[in-house]
Amino acid sequence: MTASGDEWLERWREYFLSWYEEGGVEAKAEEAAEFAQPYLEEGIASVSGGKDSMAMLHILATRCKPDLRVFHWDHGPWLMPREVENEILEGIRAVAPGAKLIVRRYRFGWSERSRVDWRPWYREFFAALRSLGFKYHLLGVRADESCRRRARGRIAQRKQWVEVHPIYHLTWRDVWAYIFRHCVPVPRVYFHYARLVGWDKVRLVTFFDREFEKYGSPQLDSVLSWRWRNNPGPAGIT
Amino acid sequence: MTPLEVVFHLKTPLALGHPWLHLDSLLAHVLLREELGERYYALPTKVADREAGRAVEARLPLKRWRDVPVASVSIFEPPSAQLQLFSFFKRGDFPFPRGRVDRARGFFKDYYLRAAYAPVQRVRFYCTGEQEEVARLCRMISALGKERNIGFGFVKRVEVREVEEEWGLVREGVAMRPIPIDYLRQWEDVSWLAYKPPYWSKQNVKLCCVPFTRVELA
Repeated sequence: MTASGDEWLERWREYFLSWYEEGGVEAKAEEAAEFAQPYLEEGIASVSGGKDSMAMLHILATRCKPDLRVFHWDHGPWLMPREVENEILEGIRAVAPGAKLIVRRYRFGWSERSRVDWRPWYREFFAALRSLGFKYHLLGVRADESCRRRARGRIAQRKQWVEVHPIYHLTWRDVWAYIFRHCVPVPRVYFHYARLVGWDKVRLVTFFDREFEKYGSPQLDSVLSWRWRNNPGPAGIT
Repeated sequence: MTPLEVVFHLKTPLALGHPWLHLDSLLAHVLLREELGERYYALPTKVADREAGRAVEARLPLKRWRDVPVASVSIFEPPSAQLQLFSFFKRGDFPFPRGRVDRARGFFKDYYLRAAYAPVQRVRFYCTGEQEEVARLCRMISALGKERNIGFGFVKRVEVREVEEEWGLVREGVAMRPIPIDYLRQWEDVSWLAYKPPYWSKQNVKLCCVPFTRVELA
């Protein structure tokens, strides 16, 4: 017998809520907030809308600085369907209503070509970050994600800014536990994908992006997000 | 032209690259391979070969309603079969050169892939066409779906039998395939979908009804 979608989600919710106590997530969140505090005055929190950055934003906005600065990068409709993007923006505004939100748009994201040619993306994204001119960029990077991310450390010195990773020590369980415990809004596609790929591996990445073909992402998108394959949504094509 | 039911009995689970398979695309694929021979394996990947496409279209043993082939999308059995994930590494089939080869990046890069598969036992289609030719082409299909080279979707046997009614387009008010909404009077759900082969071509994408939702033909 298989569990229905609601039953399945409810079971996992219960699991994560019990992990919140067992895994000492509250203490970890408190520690992350304390760690981030000195960097907020001269820094900006970069929020993609994924689970890690949303958990980080909630920690920072509720425990440190409700009027913090938040940077969000809009990939454009072909890479991030408008339905998901709207959910992300609503989520950011709900979590940090007092935040100063800066949204920059990827110029080529309004063309289907952005799915196959990702070189301009890097150029534009880093140019946007540079133009913000902040000393500290607070990111939702966790050591648990990959060896490469672990190697970056909790503070990483870049050429023009310093990367700060407040939730570096949180695991995927901690992040989900925090999200369920504090009802942090995350895009619904997470639950759709988590059912297939697992809660530990589910990530919010750009959809149908050839850059992630080497990880099999577009192939999964074609099955799970087939509606966005030929059109990214009602507001997508103008 | 006879209303037909085509049932593929599978030996191994079916890996998917889309929620449904299209019978007309399977038959067109076999016909194109017949038509082009060895040339089939050197086709351009971004644009459809128009000449070969026209030849295949003329030979496709299926009835057409307007320009929509009367052939349903796949119906998986048992319907309770849930999607599963298969993760694997894929390496190039080309011979590695002498010396050091960087498998982390560049031409010889290893790919970490993920395939969604469903442990289905049968894949059922409905169509209207020439029974003998449809059966002949179906017998030439040895595997369905994606990742066939690593053992997914192997066909055990195929049955092609006549049915009483034509269910290739609509069955009891439910669409059995994507149909452009220009050809419909009413529809329940729509999406941008390809509605005729080749299904990968953007030229064939139109606003269509979603398979297995309620529709009324115009």
